[in-house]
Amino acid sequence: MDALLSLRVSGGYSGKPGVMRDLALELREREILGLVGQSGCGKSTLALAILKLLHLKGGKVEGSIRLKGRELMALGEREMRALRGSEIGLVLQSPMSSLNPALRIGTQLEEAWRVHRRGTHEECRRALLERLENVSLPAEPGFLKRYPSQLSVGQAQRVLIAMAVLHRPALLIADEPTSALDLITQSEILQLFASVRRQFGMTILYISHDLLSVATISDRMAVMHQGEIVECRPTAEIFREPAHPYTQELIRALPVVPQLAAAAGK
Amino acid sequence: MRQRWVRIVLLILAVLSTGIALAQSGGELRFCLRSDPKTFNPLLMADDASETVRYLTGGVLMRLNRLTQEAEPELATSWKVSDGGKTITLKLRDGVRFSDGTPLSSDDVAYTVQQLMDPALHSPTGDAFRSGEGRVITRVLGKNRITITFPAPIAGLDKLFDQVAIMSAKSPQKEMAVLGPYYVAENKAGAYLILKRNPNYWKHDSSGRQLPYIDSVRLEIQQNRDIETLRLERGEIDFINSIDAEYYDKVMAQNPAMAHDAGISLDAEFMWFNQVPTSPLPAYKKAWFTSTNFRRAISEAINREDLVRIAFRGRAHPAAGPVSPGNKFWFNSKLQPHPFDQKSALQRLAQDGFHLQDGVLHDRDGHMVEFSIVTNAGNKYRERMATMIQQDLSGIGIKLNVVTLDFPSLIERMTRTFDYEACLLGLVNTDLDPNSQMNVWLSSSDNHQWNPSQKTPATAWEAEIDKLMRAQASALDAKQRKQYFDQVQEIAWEQEPFIYLVNKDALSAVSPSVRNVHPVVLRPQVYWNIDELSLGSEVARNK
Amino acid sequence: MKWARIMAIAFLLVVSAASLLANFVAPASYAHQFRDVPDAAPSRQHLLGTDDLGRDRFSRVLYGTRVSLLLAPAAALLASVLAALVGGIAGFVGGWVERCVMAATDLFLSLPWLFLLITVRALLPLNVSPVTSVVITFALLGCLGWAGAARVVCADARALSQSDFVLLARASGSAGIRLLWHHLVPNLKPVLYAQFWISVPVFMIAEANLGILGLGVAEPLPSWGSLLRELESFSTISGQPWQFVPLILLIVVVSSFHLVLTQEELPV
Ligand SMILES: Nc1ncnc2c1ncn2[C@@H]1O[C@H](COP(=O)(O)OP(=O)(O)O)[C@@H](O)[C@H]1O
Ligand SMILES: [Mg+2]
Repeated sequence: MDALLSLRVSGGYSGKPGVMRDLALELREREILGLVGQSGCGKSTLALAILKLLHLKGGKVEGSIRLKGRELMALGEREMRALRGSEIGLVLQSPMSSLNPALRIGTQLEEAWRVHRRGTHEECRRALLERLENVSLPAEPGFLKRYPSQLSVGQAQRVLIAMAVLHRPALLIADEPTSALDLITQSEILQLFASVRRQFGMTILYISHDLLSVATISDRMAVMHQGEIVECRPTAEIFREPAHPYTQELIRALPVVPQLAAAAGK
Repeated sequence: MRQRWVRIVLLILAVLSTGIALAQSGGELRFCLRSDPKTFNPLLMADDASETVRYLTGGVLMRLNRLTQEAEPELATSWKVSDGGKTITLKLRDGVRFSDGTPLSSDDVAYTVQQLMDPALHSPTGDAFRSGEGRVITRVLGKNRITITFPAPIAGLDKLFDQVAIMSAKSPQKEMAVLGPYYVAENKAGAYLILKRNPNYWKHDSSGRQLPYIDSVRLEIQQNRDIETLRLERGEIDFINSIDAEYYDKVMAQNPAMAHDAGISLDAEFMWFNQVPTSPLPAYKKAWFTSTNFRRAISEAINREDLVRIAFRGRAHPAAGPVSPGNKFWFNSKLQPHPFDQKSALQRLAQDGFHLQDGVLHDRDGHMVEFSIVTNAGNKYRERMATMIQQDLSGIGIKLNVVTLDFPSLIERMTRTFDYEACLLGLVNTDLDPNSQMNVWLSSSDNHQWNPSQKTPATAWEAEIDKLMRAQASALDAKQRKQYFDQVQEIAWEQEPFIYLVNKDALSAVSPSVRNVHPVVLRPQVYWNIDELSLGSEVARNK
Repeated sequence: MKWARIMAIAFLLVVSAASLLANFVAPASYAHQFRDVPDAAPSRQHLLGTDDLGRDRFSRVLYGTRVSLLLAPAAALLASVLAALVGGIAGFVGGWVERCVMAATDLFLSLPWLFLLITVRALLPLNVSPVTSVVITFALLGCLGWAGAARVVCADARALSQSDFVLLARASGSAGIRLLWHHLVPNLKPVLYAQFWISVPVFMIAEANLGILGLGVAEPLPSWGSLLRELESFSTISGQPWQFVPLILLIVVVSSFHLVLTQEELPV
């Protein structure tokens, strides 16, 4: 299988250097790669580094990030902007704060659509409703008129996923997309990711500190520890025989070892 | 031992005697100053507050009676001006002592005059005496006689001594030893000053009692006029020297006994046109403003009676010329204020080729007659006058734009850039003598507002005024001087370089508990007869 | 609440209509001095009496309302737009740009405005019509009044630009003016509204104060500012309550505007 994304980066913040130390990772086409690691180990840093947005938080990154064979590190801001949203989508942890409280859902989605597309209001409207349907939200104009405060958390996260896949990006980065959700919603959203991958055939970098959700959804799993990927193999394999001591520790900390036959193996 | 006893007895007597005096008159007179006095040296005083202190504490050789406007003997019992106005010989009063007990002698007068004329001291009071180059010569002829010779003749010399408080040459207290009715007992900067009666004051009333009647004067430092009026209403101060027409009306309504209108003051409100040849105004406007017909027409188009009645609530009088009728001696009584007469105004304008076209005045070349008048912002009366003049002039088809400016920008335009068309201002006159107006009328002067600092007089009438002003300054006979100055007033009336509008009334508010007050137009309006004022009780007032 | 709004709207309509139609409604010219009756009490001829020069106060209030009602909000709008631009961009861009802009704003706030205004007045020609002078005055106020609001806006914009939804917008490819306009400005609206409504009465009163410096509306044109200046000498007006009409009008109009607009425009 071809690598959709392959990276080898180092970087961190001025107050905290070395969050990523020559960290290497490869994502294959159409796979879901689970990235696990302790809170604060640098997973979100990596996510932003891929989007080349780390400078917003005052961080720096160097090395190489190749997406579909293109070196992102060599791209200018303008070219990166064209990639964000259209080639790489992002979903964040907290759905409520990820939506602009002052804008209607429709406006936000439309804005995200218009960043990369030109078209009539009608075309835009059609695209949005289609995506709402893709993420199992009511595909009706009335829904688009709502403000974020009028949505449930689960609905909000679906909206965000709809927004992230609006332009069918090749890569979707989901940074702890379920951590803020209750268990039932969590599993719904997990299923949604699986269905999104199925519908759009996209690659998903699924970041979480929660091993169980990663276990349910991912094909392969990467373990991040002290700025490096210490282990990156098919999920089931890792759970069966974790190689690295840190991975072993992580798995030992779980109350039950999940049965993985169903989720993995594609 | 015995000497000590004598001293103690004397002390007791002194205490008793002041006690008796307290019972008869006594009390404290209170009023407000705008600011702290800048100095206590009477020769260096130039600000209002200091002048108040000088008036209350200083002893002078002769005093200008504020009511009669005549000079009266004070420390000098008689004097003679000779030598064409250069020399004055004085005889001093006997047995006068300073507040600290030092006796007054002609040496003190010599010392004061030498100080006054000392170029190094730069005395503002001395300026009036500096008529020529050279030193002043003082010759002490005896303990009580002295001759003073100035380098050049000075017109109206004797009245100038009203401003010169005599200082002691010997007293260890220096300028704090005084000859006036009070001395400065306490000075709390920024808060108040307390003056106590001078125990050695020489003046006595007709019944032989030593003056002043009032024991002490408390001068409160208060910048804010509103607070000042409030304090008067609360009875915390006894009078306000000068109030505006609105407040006068209010006092009149509430307590007529408090309101005093001393009649026409020396202050004048007037406007003038910019006649400076180098000003940035367009040539056609310069032509308007230098035309006598134009100025006379404007003057006649202004309804002075209305200005008085409305802008000043009737507390003013239409003005005729540079001298207010309040200046009894110098006013030229032949002059009447220019009457309001739009028809005559239009006739005068027609002589210069101005004509009305659809109700709008145009000049000979078809320029619409529009100009601006500047005045200082924040002066309610001037703003009112300007707005009224605006309506008056629209009556003869002139568009007037009223512009209020802050004082510094106004002065800048008036004196440096000459970038203005007409200006409305007032003049506070403190001096009766025409010499004080010399700098306004001489065409070479910086203060010749309508066209200052001329090398040679721009017009024949300005040349004539120059000649007359110089003539009156060098004449010695007062009648002769008056004749010259009357002519100056007539030319000013005829040519109207300044269009005089109104003379305000001198208004004051005085608590009824202050007795024997006769407010006058000259400063200090209310307390000019301070040593004769007394304080009555409330009960006494009510009957 | 609903009733209050309807009342407010009705009131504003009446006031605006009356002031816009002042030429027809006003019983007299705002400038004409009825010199026989200065300082008159209300009567049939002069509904609100006359001012110190005998001008019909009711007519002056109508014309003055027109001037202030049009120009003070215009100036406030100008100030708010400037504040949004300066504060918004500074807070949004952040870093040294923000530090520089805010330092400049502080400097701007600490400048001795009176002197600058005086200089400005000194530069203006003397023969300007009253209407021009009033427009200049309010334009100046608008140009000068933004700084305080800009600080507030900047603080808000900074907080916003660090929020998740802005990060997400950036991750969707939005950036620059587009991001500012579509994501920041809608969120700055409440602040801007607040600043706007604070500025309106402030400007009206500032205009009155400028009159004392000779910068305000030139005679004989009335404005709320010049009408309010009648109330300056408090001691002499206490017996004439009708002089307070302009003040009351100012208060009621500003609060009505507030009532109507806050409810209509603000989401949530
Ligand atoms: N803006 C920042 N400036 C400095 N340090 C930061 C910043 N953001 C995160 N960090 C630090 O970098 C490390 C990695 O953070 P993060 O990538 O958010 O971890 P994770 O997403 O794995 O929980 C943490 O220790 C955190 O304290
Ligand atoms: Mg994280």
